[in-house]
Amino acid sequence: MSAIPGDGGNEVLPTPEGALSRGALLMPAFWVLTLLLAVGMVRMAVFLRESITVYPVATVVAVALFALYAVPFWIFVGGLDFMEREPPTLLVTAFAWGALVATAVAIPGSGALHNVLAKLISPEFATAWGAAIVGPTVEETVKVLGVFAIVLVAGAQVNSPLDGVVYGAMVGLGFQVAEDVVFAVNAVAVEGQGDRVSPVVITFFLRGFLAGLWSHTLFGALAGFGVGYLVVRTDRRLSWRIGVAALAFTGSWACHFLWNTPILLDGPVEGALGVLLILVVKGIPPLLLIAYVVRRAHEREAEYYVAQLARLNDPEIATEAELRALGSGTRRAAAREHAHGRAGMRGRHAVRKLQRAQAHLAVSLSRANGDGETAAVARFSREVRAQRARLVRLGHPEARAPEEKGGTVRSVFTLAGAAGIVMMVVWAAISALGGR
Amino acid sequence: MWRRLLRNGLGSGSIVLVLGLLAFGLPAFDRSLDSTQAVPAGVPYDVGGGVTVIPPPGALLDLTQTRPGDDRGSVLFLVGPIRYAVVVQPFDGGLTDAADKLRRKIVANRGYQVVGREADIDTANGELRGLAGGYSAPGRGGRYAVFLAGERSIEVTVSGTDPQLSAARPAIDASTRSITFRGTE
Repeated sequence: MSAIPGDGGNEVLPTPEGALSRGALLMPAFWVLTLLLAVGMVRMAVFLRESITVYPVATVVAVALFALYAVPFWIFVGGLDFMEREPPTLLVTAFAWGALVATAVAIPGSGALHNVLAKLISPEFATAWGAAIVGPTVEETVKVLGVFAIVLVAGAQVNSPLDGVVYGAMVGLGFQVAEDVVFAVNAVAVEGQGDRVSPVVITFFLRGFLAGLWSHTLFGALAGFGVGYLVVRTDRRLSWRIGVAALAFTGSWACHFLWNTPILLDGPVEGALGVLLILVVKGIPPLLLIAYVVRRAHEREAEYYVAQLARLNDPEIATEAELRALGSGTRRAAAREHAHGRAGMRGRHAVRKLQRAQAHLAVSLSRANGDGETAAVARFSREVRAQRARLVRLGHPEARAPEEKGGTVRSVFTLAGAAGIVMMVVWAAISALGGR
Repeated sequence: MWRRLLRNGLGSGSIVLVLGLLAFGLPAFDRSLDSTQAVPAGVPYDVGGGVTVIPPPGALLDLTQTRPGDDRGSVLFLVGPIRYAVVVQPFDGGLTDAADKLRRKIVANRGYQVVGREADIDTANGELRGLAGGYSAPGRGGRYAVFLAGERSIEVTVSGTDPQLSAARPAIDASTRSITFRGTE
């Protein structure tokens, strides 16, 4: 167990080698998780079979569209933890929890809670505020339980708050995709015009693009951060960790509540502009908040692993400039771009492989925990040196990012430009859908 | 080892407990609450989407199937054993399209068939014109009507056994003809 620079705490608890398989079959959680996934799978299969029987084309299109939609999210979420990628088995398990278990529980639970609100308060209240209260209460709960299930099955793999973010986001992504498929098929049924694809396409734009960026994946990431913090930061008091986890969960609940709330639906601005206003007010603040939390978790984990390499004090393994680049996704990308400019595609490829090998080596060093040169450390040291030799041959020996001049200003302009493009796309989508 | 197993078992049990509370406990609590509520006689009930209807005398509101919204809504009245539903939703087609859509929804239920011919129907104030017909279902019968109001369709379905429907028909017909569209703000 090592400390990170400037913090003095356990920002990362290194995962022992072979931790995923060790003793997992003996744990009750493994069998409980397997059983729950099997039950969820059966329920989803029944839904899909019934849907395909009535609306074969629409159902297949809905599944295909949202499966494709999940791919870039999967790549992004899976790559969030560059330094220590999560095992694919656990990523699939987290996704399956969201898609199969969480949806199977949320459907009856949400329906019942809606009814309870209508009975105890009024049908008008349930209609107006039901989605805002029921959605986050039931759905955020079942989703965060998925991260706890991952902790129980493979706790050693959740070794930093960022890992909690990754698993939480993956559970949310699974939930989002499955829920969107259900919504799309329901839209076909509600339209009542038979096996038509247009309601699926409209649902895809509405729920995928207009609501997709600030949806379950994002909320799940925030709640997952809390679980990661609770499990990893054992240097802090239990009450503090529970408080942070509760705050993160409340944050995910509040973001979900804000998104579902009827506030602004009857606002002063109508049409596409009104919808855009809603997106900006309800979607952007949670997006920025959660992006900040994720970025901080990412930076702190990266600091820890970079410190592992820095301790070697070996410029052939990593130079000062490379260590600076390795700690940030933007700077890693800038280093690859820089290499591309100087040595073409081969240079870019070599830098990518060097960075990957440096990350593997940093993780192996953390797992070695002062035991000197383990087999993994030796293997990845050789890999780093091999990539270094390759870069030297290409005439670009150092995988550094170029000096940033006016970096902050440029970042702000880049961000503003990206936001502008997203807004234009959203505007076009809203207008195409008639401002609904 | 045993302590780790115990902690793991307790954690797993807690997850199953919370899932069980959400999947079975909430529905059980929902079922334990009375789902009906009396509605004042002779007073227009706001279905949603700017549509009102005067419920039949003695009708009870089914709170689980009633959701009044700004641009759409639904209400289910229980008139004794008869289920009387009014559903309002955005619609941009013609009256025959709306009737076609409702018929498709009805026959999508297993064993349901539309029977007889459709007839014209209008509301008491002559404001809305629609189409009405009948359907049969295993052990039950039913009638339906559909109106267009603004850019909305108003779907009415009534189901019960034939003797029940015959007895309640005058009151339910009067209720259906009381449907009014006051527009949206």
